[in-house]
Amino acid sequence: MATQHSRAAARFMIAPSVILLLAWMLIPLGMTLWFSFLRYNLLMPGANPFVGFENYAYFLSDPTFITSLINTLLLVGGVLIITVVGGIGLAVLLDQPMWGTGIVRIMVISPFFVMPTVSALVWKNMFMNPVNGLFAYVAEVLGVPAFDFLTQAPLASIIGIVSWQWLPFATLILLTAMQSLDSEQLEAAEMDGASALSRFWYIKLPHLARAITVVVLIQTIFLLSIFAEILVTTNGGPGVASTNLTYLVYAESLLRFDVGTGSAGGVVAIILANIVAIFLMRMIGKNLDA
Amino acid sequence: MARAVSNRRMAINTGVAWVLAILIFFPILWTILTSFKTEATAIADPPVFLAFDWTLENYETVQERSNYFRHFMNSVVISVGSTLIGLLIAIPAAWAMAFVPGRQTKNVLMWMLSTKMLPPVGVLVPLYLIFRDYGLLDTRIGLVIVLTLINLPIIVWMLYTYFREIPVDILEAARMDGAGLSSEVLYILTPMAVPGIASTLLLNIILAWNEAFWTLNLTAANAAPLTAFIASYSSPEGLFYAKLSAASTMAIAPILVMGWFSQRQLVRGLTFGAVK
Amino acid sequence: MGRITLERVQKKFGDVEVIPPLDLTIEDGEFVVFVGPSGCGKSTLLRLIAGLEDVSGGEIRIDGTAATDLPPAKRGLAMVFQSYALYPHMSVRKNIAFPLKMAGMDEEERRRRVDRAAEVLNLTDYLDRRPGQLSGGQRQRVAIGRAIVREPAAFLFDEPLSNLDAALRVGMRLEISELHERLKTTMIYVTHDQVEAMTMADKIVVLRAGNIEQVGSPIDLYRRPRNLFVAGFIGSPKMNIVGGDLASRHDAAHIGVRPEHLDIVEDGGTFSGKVTVSEHLGSDTFFHVAVPGLDEPMTVRAGGEVGLRHGDTIHLAPQSHQIHRFDDNGLRIA
Repeated sequence: MATQHSRAAARFMIAPSVILLLAWMLIPLGMTLWFSFLRYNLLMPGANPFVGFENYAYFLSDPTFITSLINTLLLVGGVLIITVVGGIGLAVLLDQPMWGTGIVRIMVISPFFVMPTVSALVWKNMFMNPVNGLFAYVAEVLGVPAFDFLTQAPLASIIGIVSWQWLPFATLILLTAMQSLDSEQLEAAEMDGASALSRFWYIKLPHLARAITVVVLIQTIFLLSIFAEILVTTNGGPGVASTNLTYLVYAESLLRFDVGTGSAGGVVAIILANIVAIFLMRMIGKNLDA
Repeated sequence: MARAVSNRRMAINTGVAWVLAILIFFPILWTILTSFKTEATAIADPPVFLAFDWTLENYETVQERSNYFRHFMNSVVISVGSTLIGLLIAIPAAWAMAFVPGRQTKNVLMWMLSTKMLPPVGVLVPLYLIFRDYGLLDTRIGLVIVLTLINLPIIVWMLYTYFREIPVDILEAARMDGAGLSSEVLYILTPMAVPGIASTLLLNIILAWNEAFWTLNLTAANAAPLTAFIASYSSPEGLFYAKLSAASTMAIAPILVMGWFSQRQLVRGLTFGAVK
Repeated sequence: MGRITLERVQKKFGDVEVIPPLDLTIEDGEFVVFVGPSGCGKSTLLRLIAGLEDVSGGEIRIDGTAATDLPPAKRGLAMVFQSYALYPHMSVRKNIAFPLKMAGMDEEERRRRVDRAAEVLNLTDYLDRRPGQLSGGQRQRVAIGRAIVREPAAFLFDEPLSNLDAALRVGMRLEISELHERLKTTMIYVTHDQVEAMTMADKIVVLRAGNIEQVGSPIDLYRRPRNLFVAGFIGSPKMNIVGGDLASRHDAAHIGVRPEHLDIVEDGGTFSGKVTVSEHLGSDTFFHVAVPGLDEPMTVRAGGEVGLRHGDTIHLAPQSHQIHRFDDNGLRIA
């Protein structure tokens, strides 16, 4: 607890962070909102008349929007399933006693530290390339025709690349949560006659529930904004087969220079992210009281 | 107490874990190995694993052709710069919220976090236009500003969770012992907070180093950090596997090492203290 | 010198008044214990005196000078915290020397004083260790060492023994009492343990919900509790309180008899009942007796050799001059 004097000092110390973030939030957000109601194209200078919801109508009725929305959901959902299931498996495995835990751990978490452009390009060229990639070689050895991943299954390939990047994150967090489980609980369950499988199902998994939720929510926030991986591998293509919402808004804004439509798309993206954010914030807020 | 486990169990665990770990790590390992091959060996069929003539020529070529060092320094300046400025702004705020909590503290913290939830694409257009109009496009300073702002909530939060673990009793004891605010900060708080600040610094440099939305959209040749520079290998240069690998290895090596040292902090930082 | 006076001192957290205006004088050299159940405001009161909390109203004087608005560092008081609050990154020597360093004392003098304090507290062998390497009792001693080196006007103790195990607690209790005998400095000691209060205090301040229920020497409080709360709080095991007809026979709303003031008689007596539990401590035996018509069992203290068991019938007679009488409001009737 504190005295009057320290309270005044505290306000003074918090102010810079608050003011900066407030400016960061309000100014660009306000501008996005404002632009979304204008007919505004950088290639067509002149007046930018107010057009109400025209941009929204245009953006939302564009079939590409529906495709990109579905792609976004597939991308987020696919990566979540792979990383959470894989993460639980790896966490359970790494929690077991073994030789060389430290090195195994380091190898498993490493992909998370690889910058998105590097991992996307390495996968694209050195693994998925239908001529010189390692997968093509494996196909050759197996006697099956080489598969052109990024052309024939662009979205699935990107899901694979992104999953590789985020699997370590899920594993690390779930492993940390697993290790906070009181071993006496497990011993008590063992005394009560629970098998290894029951111990996993009734003790470990419920204990992980909270961490799983955190992983899902945080990854969702980041996965909704996947951009670099798409930009350097497929440019959203072929056609719009691997365009997600973030990439679509980028294309409208900085490739077609349609500020109005791009902004409307931005607002849609914000609304989508906020739905997830509300749940995440609630969880973290609860933790703050504890 | 960890229980004794039979050697057989240990051997099975170890075997399975090592196989999986090597599979997961393989793309990185392969990239590092390829960076020491000639272009011809890099695409040899069948692929060569270790038995090749190791060469450093790719590293030299990458530097000569594209002034790699400049982009590397861009990454350093942008990630370290934004982190240090962020710490400077965040330390007082986190300190105040941890030790002089008011009725609004929790709300302020949650609100700060909510700014982090904002999808970057939602403010891409205005930010691009602001940068264009103020001559910040493709400048280091511009990126430092943006990365400071997007990572500020994480920095405040991480510091806050660390500071909150310092018992208030100890600060009060210092006050009773006659320490004024400056002595309290110098002799008690700083030494106790250094580990937390260091972890925050480390994690934030990692995050800023790998940031690949704003760096791609707001830079061109001049201020491009490694994320954006590597993207230029998208095509057709990406087909020069050895050079791509050399450029990639240099881009990820420093962060990989830092990352290994900050596993624990990573969990805490990225979950905002929700998982420890 | 260390005479501390509180005049109309009051503390509110927001709209909640945790300490209504109260007056209290602590004489120089006194060992004063603030005792009460948790949440009674005793720690808050101590922190007001320390200056770690601002008062919402009233005046605090230390040796006659107004201290209400002084920061903690300027009040010349030393405090021992419940958690010990040792600086984890400093050696024991540096911990103890810290207040001296803050006072700007030169290194030679610091060293001399720390050595002397360490000798008094048996810490000489541990001066170069970090707090993390010490046992609970040793940490406690370091905390005390840090308090005594600066020769404060008064020591403030905030539940200093509550983190120690039972045996160590008794030992430290004695050490603190001895320290007071030797230093003759004012000490204010906060605890929820009435045994600590009874054994250590010159003067006990019993608090409940921020109000002072009674101030007096331990024996005063034991002999003449001012109200039912103090009667129930001081003394172990607790005083037996009885209401109803039995009380009105003594012209009171409630009467109280301590377990040690009940005699076991062959037959007759005031209360009769069956023994539910008997606790044999060797020197004493405590019987819990279910008396028909009373809500709670009565507790009786008997000699070590009395051999009654569960289910035995027992007759009890209170010693007539040891009956405490209380009125409707729970206040003592003279």
